[in-house]
Amino acid sequence: MSASAIIFYLISAFILGAGLLAVTTRKIFRAAIWLLFSLVGIAALYFWMQVEFIAAIQIIVYVGGIVVLIIFSIFLTQQSGKEMPKPSTGKTLFSIAAALFGLLFTYQLIDQYGFANNATRPMNVTVGEIGTQMLSTTEHGYILPFEVVSMLLLAAMIGCIVIAMKNNGGNIEEKTGEGSKLMIHTDISSPQNIQED
Amino acid sequence: MFSLEGITNAIQNWLYNTFNPSWALVFECLIVILLATGLFAILGLVLVLMERKVAAHIQIRLGPNRVGPGGMFQTVADTLKLIMKEGLTPDLADKFLFNLAPFVVMIVAMLLLAPIAFARGFQIWDLNIGVLYVSAISSLSVIGILMAGWASNNKYSLLGAMRSGAQIVSYELSAGLSVLSIVVLSGSLQLSDIIASQENGWWLFKGHIPVIISFVIFIIAVTAETNRAPFDLAEAESELTAGFHTEYSGMRFALFFLAEYINIFIVCAIGATLFLGGWMPLHIGHWQAFNHIMDYIPSSIWFMGKTFFLIFLIMWFRWTFPRLRVDQLLNLEWKYLLPISMFNLILVTVIAILGWHF
Amino acid sequence: MFLKEYISDVYNGVTSLLKGMRKTGYYFFHPKEIITQQYPENRATLNLPERFRGEVVMTHDEHNEHACTGCTACELACPNGTIKIITKFDVTPEGKKKKAIDTFIYHLELCTMCNLCIVACPTDAIKMAQNFEHSVFDRNKLTKKLNLPGSKIREGVE
Repeated sequence: MSASAIIFYLISAFILGAGLLAVTTRKIFRAAIWLLFSLVGIAALYFWMQVEFIAAIQIIVYVGGIVVLIIFSIFLTQQSGKEMPKPSTGKTLFSIAAALFGLLFTYQLIDQYGFANNATRPMNVTVGEIGTQMLSTTEHGYILPFEVVSMLLLAAMIGCIVIAMKNNGGNIEEKTGEGSKLMIHTDISSPQNIQED
Repeated sequence: MFSLEGITNAIQNWLYNTFNPSWALVFECLIVILLATGLFAILGLVLVLMERKVAAHIQIRLGPNRVGPGGMFQTVADTLKLIMKEGLTPDLADKFLFNLAPFVVMIVAMLLLAPIAFARGFQIWDLNIGVLYVSAISSLSVIGILMAGWASNNKYSLLGAMRSGAQIVSYELSAGLSVLSIVVLSGSLQLSDIIASQENGWWLFKGHIPVIISFVIFIIAVTAETNRAPFDLAEAESELTAGFHTEYSGMRFALFFLAEYINIFIVCAIGATLFLGGWMPLHIGHWQAFNHIMDYIPSSIWFMGKTFFLIFLIMWFRWTFPRLRVDQLLNLEWKYLLPISMFNLILVTVIAILGWHF
Repeated sequence: MFLKEYISDVYNGVTSLLKGMRKTGYYFFHPKEIITQQYPENRATLNLPERFRGEVVMTHDEHNEHACTGCTACELACPNGTIKIITKFDVTPEGKKKKAIDTFIYHLELCTMCNLCIVACPTDAIKMAQNFEHSVFDRNKLTKKLNLPGSKIREGVE
């Protein structure tokens, strides 16, 4: 077994172990941290495959973005430090069965079709090529999905702004500076109001 | 001529001639680990002393001057004190995460060291997405802070961690955008390419006003990302005692402290590489004689000089400006830095396409 | 106009920050401005500012005379009972009784150097000295008698 294979198995064991701990731990914050380690492990696997661009994107999007968002929402929920109750036996059995089914299904597919054996040819794609491919209008170009996704994100952004502006209480004519101050006050007071209710 | 490149090449050749490639790689890793750890220790000692001296002189004081000549060994004494202190863990803390957090912060700082070019041909890992790698890994540093804040089971720590999270996540944007302007100009993400593109002048001078604006934005954003005053809301001592590291003591506190200074060094090194040409000596266009004279100063000295100049700039900020409020902090990012840097990126792109830079 | 306001905001912010940095930068590059006094070494040349308040003393001239009339204004002015004045009645040559001080007791350990007694004194008999090395091994030594033995009130001070 070569050094490269040893590293592969180490990283895989790390990913699987962290993933298993993420679903079995009973503290919700720890689950998020284990998920984070699992995602970092996947990024490490990408580095091992020498597709550094994908690895960096994996870290930026999943670890720096999504897991941080998850952690924030955990912080904002109540009793995030408490241990969760043990799941019932039925639930446990069902989840194990679901996981096994997923595993068998994927294994079946892979076993049937297999991977094309091109691991010897190093995949060497520069960032420039990725960028060109992303915006190219030729047959294998990604311009349409790229633009559709940008529109989706733009819509999400405008939606956020609209939701944030609603708290202003209809005082849209006010100056921007005062408006922002008002917004901050309502932002602070609203969770308290909810708690009082 | 003496150069670090020659030494590293000689060591590598010797290793690969004496051992088989796998073992040579292992030995290389060991040497890198040793060097990195040594660098961290020395940087910690030097930067803390530098900070205290700069702070003192800015506040018309003398600063530490009792331990050793001119107070040189003050930080050594402080480190010894920290080593001997007991590392306490609060009773109801999440012990595992509490003990893990300082190491996560430290490991992130170490990972960031990989793509930095310290001198001509003296770089741990010249990967082809260098700049992207740096911004990806630096987004991990918030995780350690969030872990520390939550696991301490202390509301000050939690508040500090939340603030730090909001701060780092939002300032990452404008830091990334200002870095992108250099990527647009040099046309590569690889740090060695970016340095090579500054052969006839640093980007700060070649790129007109837009690059100067993005340099200013970069410095502001990285000051915020490293949680330093005036953006040190995460540990604001007058409001949150010490923020996320309130409950830490002894060596674990020292790790947080060290990581802060290492992060400053790294972001300043990145800033020096992108805007001030890294190890590239000061070259001006086609003045052959002038460029030749500048080449006589070793590249490592150029790199360290630029980095320490930026570190001094950040320390200067810290001891001049008062701390911002949370809403002021977020206003600054979302209403000023981000729109300006987006507009600036467009300007830089126009300059790069039309070839208006020198 | 919004854009004009925005740009002037940015401009004002940057210039005011630069103003602050210029001041601190000036101090950094001018070590002569440093005001730190390295105390135990420079004891001989120690230069204390005039307004420094070390302890309360009573001034005596060369004839061992002071200006204290024993009016107890300082005792009343003191917020924490630092001063205690014991008065006596002198008999003047004309046979009249006149109030004078017997002992001016000053508890240094209670004093906060607030300067109220000096302000209250109508005859400027007491003042603040610049001595600050007060530590002693016995607490009793901090209770001081301010009028020198055998001293008396200066002629003409009422």
